[in-house]
Amino acid sequence: MACQIKENEIKEKVIEICGEFKNDPNDLIAILHKAQNHFGFLPKEVQAAIAEILNISSAKVYGVVTFYSYFTMEPRGKHPISICMGTACYVKGAEKVLKEFESKLEIKNGQTTRDGKFSMNTLRCIGACGLAPVIMIGEKVYGGVKQEDVSKIIKEYE
Amino acid sequence: MKSKQIKIALRNCGHIDPEDIADYISKDGYAALGKCLTGSREAVIETMKKSGLRGRGGGGFPTGKKWELAAAVPGEKKYVICNADEGDPGAFMDRSVLEGDPHSVLEAMAVCGYAIGADEGYIYIRAEYPLAIKRLKIAMAQAREAGLLGKNILGTGFNFDIGLKYGAGAFVCGEETALIKSMEGNRGEPVMKPPYPAQKGYMGKPTNVNNVETFANIPAIINNGADWFASIGTEGSKGTKVFALAGKVKNVGLVEVPMGTTLRELIYEIGGGILNDKQFKAAQTGGPSGGCLTEKHLDTPIDYESLKQAGSMMGSGGLIVMDEDDCMVAVAQFYLDFTVEESCGKCVPCREGNKVLYQLLNKITHGKGEVEDLKKLKNFSEIIKSASLCGLGQTSPNPVLSTLDNFYDEYYEHVTEKKCRSKNCRALIKYIIIPEKCVGCGACKRACPAEAISGEVKKIHLIDQEKCIKCGACYQKCKFNSIIIE
Amino acid sequence: MKAIKSIDDLKTLTDEIKVKSIEDKKKVQICIAMATCSIASGSGKIFEYFKEEMPKQPVEFIIRSTGCLGLCHSEPTVEVTLPDSDPVVFGSVDVKMARSIIDDFIKNGKTIDGVIEGN
Repeated sequence: MACQIKENEIKEKVIEICGEFKNDPNDLIAILHKAQNHFGFLPKEVQAAIAEILNISSAKVYGVVTFYSYFTMEPRGKHPISICMGTACYVKGAEKVLKEFESKLEIKNGQTTRDGKFSMNTLRCIGACGLAPVIMIGEKVYGGVKQEDVSKIIKEYE
Repeated sequence: MKSKQIKIALRNCGHIDPEDIADYISKDGYAALGKCLTGSREAVIETMKKSGLRGRGGGGFPTGKKWELAAAVPGEKKYVICNADEGDPGAFMDRSVLEGDPHSVLEAMAVCGYAIGADEGYIYIRAEYPLAIKRLKIAMAQAREAGLLGKNILGTGFNFDIGLKYGAGAFVCGEETALIKSMEGNRGEPVMKPPYPAQKGYMGKPTNVNNVETFANIPAIINNGADWFASIGTEGSKGTKVFALAGKVKNVGLVEVPMGTTLRELIYEIGGGILNDKQFKAAQTGGPSGGCLTEKHLDTPIDYESLKQAGSMMGSGGLIVMDEDDCMVAVAQFYLDFTVEESCGKCVPCREGNKVLYQLLNKITHGKGEVEDLKKLKNFSEIIKSASLCGLGQTSPNPVLSTLDNFYDEYYEHVTEKKCRSKNCRALIKYIIIPEKCVGCGACKRACPAEAISGEVKKIHLIDQEKCIKCGACYQKCKFNSIIIE
Repeated sequence: MKAIKSIDDLKTLTDEIKVKSIEDKKKVQICIAMATCSIASGSGKIFEYFKEEMPKQPVEFIIRSTGCLGLCHSEPTVEVTLPDSDPVVFGSVDVKMARSIIDDFIKNGKTIDGVIEGN
């Protein structure tokens, strides 16, 4: 996806974020977390800016971004939905919940709705196994989610 | 859900405010650190060795021995790392400790620092735990303000401070060398051992890595004595273990029991038995690295050795209970799906081998498997185990081997009869309307997304098996129990 | 908290805090679990309810937000310790039960439903 954020905006923010970590490449992951929190995703323009400030190769930054499932190069929706597919949730029917979200939002796992409102991905264990199946929308955790709850949950954000 | 429990790692959880250091101090918080600082480093290590504490993250390596190895390596700069990645799906012991009693980990890390000669520590914590991160930050700030972290702790001249490093959703970073690579801003790719982190770890310096639960035990061991801890548990596995009971059990939650407690006690006495009183089938321990325990293991006392002998492992403590409705072939496939995604890709046996295992399992659960495939599963599993670079690959075939061993009949049925006795594998089941029970209400027809159901009002309905996508919507909607799964 | 300058100072501070804890045992102690599972189950609302309602009661009390007791199957959980008594844990607490905990259990010492045994 073409990056719609202005180049100088990117540069300014990246300088600020990297500066918080004294431009230390060891803190690349923390820097990427902060950058993603700010920009919403990590397009190649942001990656290139980080590489320049930290004086490391873009390939290195790209390699780290694509290795960790938390980082995304695609913009997330306004309300990112994370469906836990850990074992406890799987055994309690998380796959059915995932299919229901896919059906109601008309997107597949890993995609964003056309209006940019919702994006969906699967997570491997939020650690709330006591409430399986679990989903998160943004930072809000929903427990004991059944297929029939999905429409109601989506409505909360409409 | 209790009387058999002894809470050591979880001693303060639920009883103190984790955001108030005074509450922690009221429970003798930081007294263990004070006690250690008045004695020698060697004395601390001796206590740890005598206690018999073994790593609670899954490896089960004797903690005292680990500290001794790091202490013996010469060097001005050393590090203490707390592995708070807790990547095993179904495990949330560490999250509870960090959210409920973060100071216990900080204090233990300082004790470790003193013992091995380190002045700096890091907690590597998974990004999926925002509340634990928040409480750790508060605890660290309060400890610094109180002079319990930082320079000249309690006026003894000992310096030790702790920082946070974040994971970003990579299971392999629970492996200590991958974790260290990640802390250095790299892809979490494990490296050959030796050298072990104790010799050459973070930033190339001697480093001791321990799990959250391991650390949480330490202040109690120092305060109550090594003998006290060693009096609990079994010969080879001292103390207690925190288990995260999840899945098809009535009382889902965290329990801390002496090593040697049986599976039956855990599931039936503490756990309240199987949900909806269904038949117990298996308990998965060790997450994607472990295997399953079955009915024949119900009276096995759980400790490091007995679980290995049973074809599983302790792992971090996640214990997923499964019942008669769970298909063990599908469970093996689930774990391999996870492993394939999480493999770092560095070594061929893990990267390519696990893909082959997954494809074979996928073939079997989709009704295309053959008897030959069962032999292939076993052979490939053994090769991957012996040839992989790190713990992830070396243990990833365990769910396959364990389910093949304990549930061979199910696998055999899948490939010869194309049958899934748990009615789980979609390709192997049919939804059928029982004519005698159908009242012709049409609810199923309206619910069907594939227009596979025909029938007029008040007449018997019929499912076209060619069109049916086996979503189960009709089964959910039918109020007359007229639809069965075959 | 001021910096603790020595091990002896830590011991002194610990003793002082423990003395206060003993004093606090004369008050009604209410611990509300506020871990991830607890919050996801609605414990935040219960915590606010107790914070709002307890000052209106004719009892001395302390409210603490704590980690969890591991009772995921019964969140939100509230542990109440009446003066000179053992702690009692209530599970699946909603506002209605919170009201009953205050009116019946705390103010009148009556046993009510919802206790999780063995804790």
